[in-house]
Amino acid sequence: MFRVELISDKGAAPTPGWTYVADRAFNPAQAAMAPTLSRKRGIRDAGKGGDMSSRRANAIIRHLAELDRENQRDVSIPVPVKQAKEAGARGTRAKTTSNVRRILQSQKSFRNHLDDEEAALSNAAASGAGTRGANLALKGNKAVAAAARRSSTPVTVASSSAAKKKRVSTVGATGLSNTTTAAASPAPTTTPMEVDEEEERKHKLLKTEHDDDPLLRSYAPNMPSDRIIQRLLAEPPLSYNASRAGPPNSSRLPRHFCCMCGYWGKIRCKNCHVRTCGLDCYRVHEDSRCGAFF
Amino acid sequence: MGTSKARASTKVKKVTPDVPARHLPEKTFVLDNGAYTMKAGYAADPSLSSEDALAACTSIPNTIVKTRDNRIVVGAQLSTQVTDWNEAVFRRPVEKGYIVNWEAEREIWEQTFFEEKATARNKNHRIPAPEETTLILTEAPNSMPILQRNADEMVMEEWGFGGYARCLGRDHPFSKVILCVRSVLMKKFLGPTLNAWNELHSLFGDPLTSKPDTDILPMDCLLVVDSGYSHTTVTPIFKGRPLQRAIRRLDIGGKLLTNYLKEIVSVRQYNMVDESYIMNEVKEAVSFVSNDFAADMERTWKAKTKNRLEEGVVVDYVLPDPNAGKKGFTRPHDPLLHAKKKKGAGSGLSAEVLSEDVLVLGNERFTVPELLFNPGDIGMTQAGIPDMIIQSLSVLPPALHAAFLANTLVVGGNSLIPGFMERLETDLRPIASADCVVRVRRAQDPIFSSWLGGSRLASNREELSKVAITRQEYQEYGSGWAGRRFAGAV
Repeated sequence: MFRVELISDKGAAPTPGWTYVADRAFNPAQAAMAPTLSRKRGIRDAGKGGDMSSRRANAIIRHLAELDRENQRDVSIPVPVKQAKEAGARGTRAKTTSNVRRILQSQKSFRNHLDDEEAALSNAAASGAGTRGANLALKGNKAVAAAARRSSTPVTVASSSAAKKKRVSTVGATGLSNTTTAAASPAPTTTPMEVDEEEERKHKLLKTEHDDDPLLRSYAPNMPSDRIIQRLLAEPPLSYNASRAGPPNSSRLPRHFCCMCGYWGKIRCKNCHVRTCGLDCYRVHEDSRCGAFF
Repeated sequence: MGTSKARASTKVKKVTPDVPARHLPEKTFVLDNGAYTMKAGYAADPSLSSEDALAACTSIPNTIVKTRDNRIVVGAQLSTQVTDWNEAVFRRPVEKGYIVNWEAEREIWEQTFFEEKATARNKNHRIPAPEETTLILTEAPNSMPILQRNADEMVMEEWGFGGYARCLGRDHPFSKVILCVRSVLMKKFLGPTLNAWNELHSLFGDPLTSKPDTDILPMDCLLVVDSGYSHTTVTPIFKGRPLQRAIRRLDIGGKLLTNYLKEIVSVRQYNMVDESYIMNEVKEAVSFVSNDFAADMERTWKAKTKNRLEEGVVVDYVLPDPNAGKKGFTRPHDPLLHAKKKKGAGSGLSAEVLSEDVLVLGNERFTVPELLFNPGDIGMTQAGIPDMIIQSLSVLPPALHAAFLANTLVVGGNSLIPGFMERLETDLRPIASADCVVRVRRAQDPIFSSWLGGSRLASNREELSKVAITRQEYQEYGSGWAGRRFAGAV
């Protein structure tokens, strides 16, 4: 809510005599009269904390949809009409089945299919089938959780020299994939030569009193058991939306670029919040393109 | 009803291994059906080197084009029939990596593989008798069941292939060889899985442990990054099979990059919004992935005109001129060109130079592919490729992380952008665990890698018959069973 307030000081105020002041005090009577006003304001203010305003978010979604287009304009390109003679060429083949006819006549786009799938998934989740699926997923999670738990416990390597060896050498990728192979496949593929090498390495390693130091011990996770691997492999695919990559792992500040020349955007236009790199680009922007309001 | 069907299929499963009656046709056709191009050809003899095997594979645009003069041209004829790409518009049956519009796809396949007249000269990818051919067809991960079912029904009922497998197009590394199989015959595979069947050990510099005469087997652990036209996916593959829970997708691919370049060039220079094809060529010609983004940005700053020439980031791209039959090309930037052109004939420039249209490309060259690593630059909330790899691994048992990070294979056209591999490795290193070795390699031929894997899978008949279905089976059990079978449930 806003209210107009008379300001008494005459010196600094750029506007003569009055100014807008945000009314942040909660007044139930006013809130009941115009509840939406403060909500919108709230959304926009949130933008200052690094979040985006809803308008900005919408603009980005629109922009991304535009970048995803095949052609700039909407065009329909019909499949070339076949001549009767050529169409008869499929004589050797069986007649078109009803399935094929249905598929060919379907005008559904990917978007339609995706919406269908989402609807079906939410339906399934609501009904009993969903609980069964959830149970399955739960089981899967448990299996993996078990794997994680098991593997996060320190390796119980008997000899400290072996632990040290792991830290020093197994990190080598070949070594790792070798261990993987050995652990995962029923018949380990270590050749006698490799065994010799390993023994040699063991001998070369020095024994020190630090080998038992918990800070220095290597915590190489155990290879998950065959059962867990089989579980993982047997899992059904995720849905299209579920397999989308999530937000970035580290929260780096967003980078801004000049909308005109692509250099760093240091100035934000006061009307449309688009960035420009300097006064040159800002002037061009103001003259020709500034018009959108966020 | 459903139970009786299920019973019938389990019975079949028990019998299949040693019943010779189950016949998969010898000839295997591998089709990697990408959104931009189809990679198609008959599976080659596995004893051939990959270069020779690839000779059997053809890349065909998977699109119907309407040119400026309103001619409609289909797939394989594009290379010969279209010379003027200005304002060409495209209809692509594959959306987001999945075959969605079968009306268009059927037309393209017919013209490319089946029709006698149109395919008479192309022995490499002509399928005269589908019923005597096994098809390995690739699909993108996380497809929708309805789209998979449509594909199965079209392949089996419209063309009636003798055998069929549908699979993920990925690479798997095994001790010696990675096969990447996608579905050609009657079998569907996820595209990325096929990559695992290629011979990747030499790529990673591992010693070959298996004897050359052993069967071709997929690699144990392989993390395939597939950056294609519609999207970029990360697929961890364990012994040739995808770990479904860890497949992740970034919705940025070649198409979005081209459109973004189109957009910024249209704002800054000429209006190119209708020139998808030409801007795609520009993108392929000039773009690179920056390994020092901030420094490259300074180098291309317009106020710094002095240093531009010697630093050489800025280039001119001369647009193609279909009337004169000239193709587009790049050349070093000439800062005075514009001024000279203004002077006209008096400047001593030839008429040829005066008539050409030039795009000056500076920071556009690297800010566009940068989106693959920083989708936040256009406000997208998704993680870039390196972060996506870590996200994918985070749902797998930690013991597997090291094996996947050490065997990361990149396929797909975007990996050909100069600097891509270096950037991926340098970005991945600091965010991966310090205990792990990070090895990122590009497949020898990143575009055909999945096809090649399919071809190798085809040579392993036993493995193939485990995943493929035959025409008789399809006719007996129907598409629902086929779908479950490709999902590994039956």
